[in-house]
Amino acid sequence: MAEPVKKARTEGKGGLHTDIQKLNMGPSHPATHGTVKFTVELDGETIQAMDVAVGYLHRGFEKECESGTYYQAIPYTDRLNYNSAILANLGYCMAVEKLLEIEIPDRGEWARVLAGELSRVGDHLTRLGAACLELAAMTPFLYGIEARELIWDLQEMLCGARVTSNYVRIGGLQRNIPDGFEDRCEESLKRVDELLVDFDKIVTANRIFVDRFRGTGVLSREDCVAYSVTGPLLRAAGIPYDLRKAEPYSKYDEIDFDIPVGTTGDNYDRFLVVQEELMQSIRIIRQCLPVLRKTKGQPVDIQDPHIRWPGKNRVYGRMEELIQQFKGVTEGIKVPAGEAYVAVESANGELGFYIVSDGSGKPYKVRCRPPSFVNTQPLSRMLVGGLLADIIPTFDMVNMIGGECDR
Amino acid sequence: MPGKVVRVRRHSNFGWKERLYLPMIFVGLGVTARHFFENFWGYMIGKVKTFVVQYPEERLDYADAFRGHPVLVALESGAPKCVACGLCEFACPTDCITILPDETRSAIERIPKVFDIDMSRCMFCGLCEEACPEEAIVMSRDVELATYDREAMLFHKEDLLRTEEQLGRRIGFIREEYNRA
Amino acid sequence: MSDLLQAIEEKLGDAVEDSHAYRGDDTILVSHDRVLEVMQTLKDDSSFRFNMLIDLTAVDYLGRDPRFEVVYHLGSVEVEARGSEPSSLRHRLRVKSGVAEVPCEIDSVTSIWPAANWMEREVFDFYGIRFKGHDDMRRILLYEEFQGHPLRKDYPKERRQPLIGPRN
Repeated sequence: MAEPVKKARTEGKGGLHTDIQKLNMGPSHPATHGTVKFTVELDGETIQAMDVAVGYLHRGFEKECESGTYYQAIPYTDRLNYNSAILANLGYCMAVEKLLEIEIPDRGEWARVLAGELSRVGDHLTRLGAACLELAAMTPFLYGIEARELIWDLQEMLCGARVTSNYVRIGGLQRNIPDGFEDRCEESLKRVDELLVDFDKIVTANRIFVDRFRGTGVLSREDCVAYSVTGPLLRAAGIPYDLRKAEPYSKYDEIDFDIPVGTTGDNYDRFLVVQEELMQSIRIIRQCLPVLRKTKGQPVDIQDPHIRWPGKNRVYGRMEELIQQFKGVTEGIKVPAGEAYVAVESANGELGFYIVSDGSGKPYKVRCRPPSFVNTQPLSRMLVGGLLADIIPTFDMVNMIGGECDR
Repeated sequence: MPGKVVRVRRHSNFGWKERLYLPMIFVGLGVTARHFFENFWGYMIGKVKTFVVQYPEERLDYADAFRGHPVLVALESGAPKCVACGLCEFACPTDCITILPDETRSAIERIPKVFDIDMSRCMFCGLCEEACPEEAIVMSRDVELATYDREAMLFHKEDLLRTEEQLGRRIGFIREEYNRA
Repeated sequence: MSDLLQAIEEKLGDAVEDSHAYRGDDTILVSHDRVLEVMQTLKDDSSFRFNMLIDLTAVDYLGRDPRFEVVYHLGSVEVEARGSEPSSLRHRLRVKSGVAEVPCEIDSVTSIWPAANWMEREVFDFYGIRFKGHDDMRRILLYEEFQGHPLRKDYPKERRQPLIGPRN
C-alpha cells in the first residue's frame, strides 16, 4: 500500500526548493533479482513513499494444479521457489499425505529432512552471496556460489536435476538415496565449511559492509506479527518462531539444532540470522547422514500401489501391477474429500499448502501460502524514511523469489 | 529434542582495527590472495583446483540420475520400442507429448505413427519415464536445445529415436533405481 | 471436538454456524456479515489471541449456494521470548465464510491484520470477491486490463487474453 504522498515542497540545505521526484525501478531493473516494480517517491535521496508492484512472473500455478492429477502438480511446485525446490515439493506432498492419512517409512522421512536441508542451504547461500553482490562485493558472492554449486551437485546426484528437483513424491520419494551419497556429502560439506570461513572473514566484521547493513530496513517485532512475516525476517526481529520447533513435522523432533534470533530486525540481524541458520542446517545434515547409513537398504516409499506407482520391475513383468500403473497414471490417486492445511518452514518462512479435495483424482483447489508474497508486503514499511541505496540490499534480505511470490 | 535459542553476535563496538578500515582490507586481501596462490600452484603442478570449467570445451560428467530431454528407445530393427499406449501423454503435466497410434503386422502390433514432443513446453520432470510401462521413453543426457526458430523445438519420432547402446547408462539406472517391492 | 473449538463456540455463541476438526484442523464456519466481529474477538480475546493472519484465500464451489467460500487461516504465535526456549505456536484455526455470487462481497479484515491487504487483493484478483472497507482494491498479480477472474471454476484454462501494449 502506498503511503500518503507528501505534496509539500521540502527545503534543501542551501535554502533550495526540491521537488518530490518519482522514480520507477523495474520491472526489469538490473539490480533487483526478480521481476518486480518499485514506484518510489524521493525527496532528495530519502524515500517518501513506495509502492511495490508484483505479479510479473504469474504463471497460473493454482489453476494449473486444478487441471491435472495430484501427481502432476509436483513438478510445478519445483517452480515456486526455485532456490529451494525440494522444500516446496515436501510441503505439497505432506498436505496430500495428510488428507490420505498415510505415513511414510522412517528412512523416507530422514531422506526428506536431508534433501530439504540441502535445499535450504542452497537458498541461504544464494541470499548471503547476493547480499554482498548488492553492495558490489563480487568475491564473497563467488565463494557463496561455489559452495552452492557443491550443494546443487549433491542435489543432482540425489534428484537428477540441480534446480528443478521433482524429488518428493506422495507417499515417498522419487528414488532411494544413491550409493556413495553420504561420503560425497561429507566431502562437499567440508569444502562448504572452508568457503564459509573465508566468506565470514571477508564480510561479517568488515566495517564497510556493517555500516551499509546496520540500521537499515528495520521492521519491528510488532510490525512483523501484524504483517504475518515469518522465517528469518521474523527471527531477526527477535521472535524465535520456527515451524520446525513450533510444530515439528517429519523427524525434526529427533534432531538437535538451535534457532538463531536477532535483536533489532535490521538487515544486519537478518544477515547474521541467515548465516547462523545455514550452519544449523549443515549440522542437521550431519545428523541425518549416520541414520541414512544405518538404514541402508530399507525402502523410502509406502507399499501401496494405489498411492505410489508400483516399481518398474513389477510393471514390466506382471499383469496386476501393469493395470495398477495404468490406473495410477490415468486416474490419479483418489484422495478422500475434505480439506487440509500443512505448513513447512521453507527458507523464506512458512510455506503452507491448503488443499481441497472433492474425492476425485484431481485436486479441487490447491492454495500455496507463499512466504515471499507475504514478506514482500511490508517492504515499503521497512524502507520509507530510508535512503534509495538501501532498497536493493533490503530487497535481497527479504529474498523475494518471483516464482513463489507471483506463482 | 529441545533446541535452544541463540542470539546472533553483532559487531557493534568496533575496535581501532575495524575503524581504521585498512587492517580489515588486508585481511580480505589475504583471503583472496590465498585463493589465488592455491589455484596458481595447482595450475603449476598440474593439479588444477579452480572450480570454473571452460564450457563447452571442457565438460563435467553429470550424475547418473541426470535428466536431459526425453527420447525414445529404438529396437534393433530401428523401430521404436513404444507401443503407443499413451501413458506418458497422460502423465505429462504440460501436455507436450502427442501420440497417434498405428497398427503393424510385426509381433508388437502397435506402434506410434506420430510421436511428437514439444521441447519448448517440456520441463524435464521425468514423469513420462516414470509412467512408461515399456521402458520406451527415457530421459537422455542432452540438454543443449537452443535453436533459431520455434518450429525446430518440435521433435518428431525420427529426431527422438536413440539406440539402446546410446542410452545404456540411463536404462541401467532405471532398472536399478525404479525397482521397488 | 477439540478444546479450542469448544471454547470458541462458547465465546462466540450463534456466530459459529458449523465447526469440524477434519484431519486435526480446527475449522469454524461463520456467516459473512459477522466476519469482522468474530475476527476481532478471536484476535483480542485473551484465551485465543490469534495475532497472525497466516493465510487468506477463497474457494469456488460452483453450483453450491453460497458459491464462494473465503478461507482464513489464523495462527497464534508467542511474541514474548521465554528465555532460551523457542516460541511455540499456541494454536491454529481455520475460519470459513460463505460469499454469494451476487453481491460478491465480504468485510475486509485489514483493520485487524494489516497483512490481509495483499491477500485480499489477490482474492479479488482471482475470484472477483470484493472486500468492503479495503482502501486499495486493485488487481495485484494480474494486470488491470485482464478480463474475468481466472480461478473461478467457470473460467476455462485455455482462454486467451487480449495483448496489451506498453502503457505510458
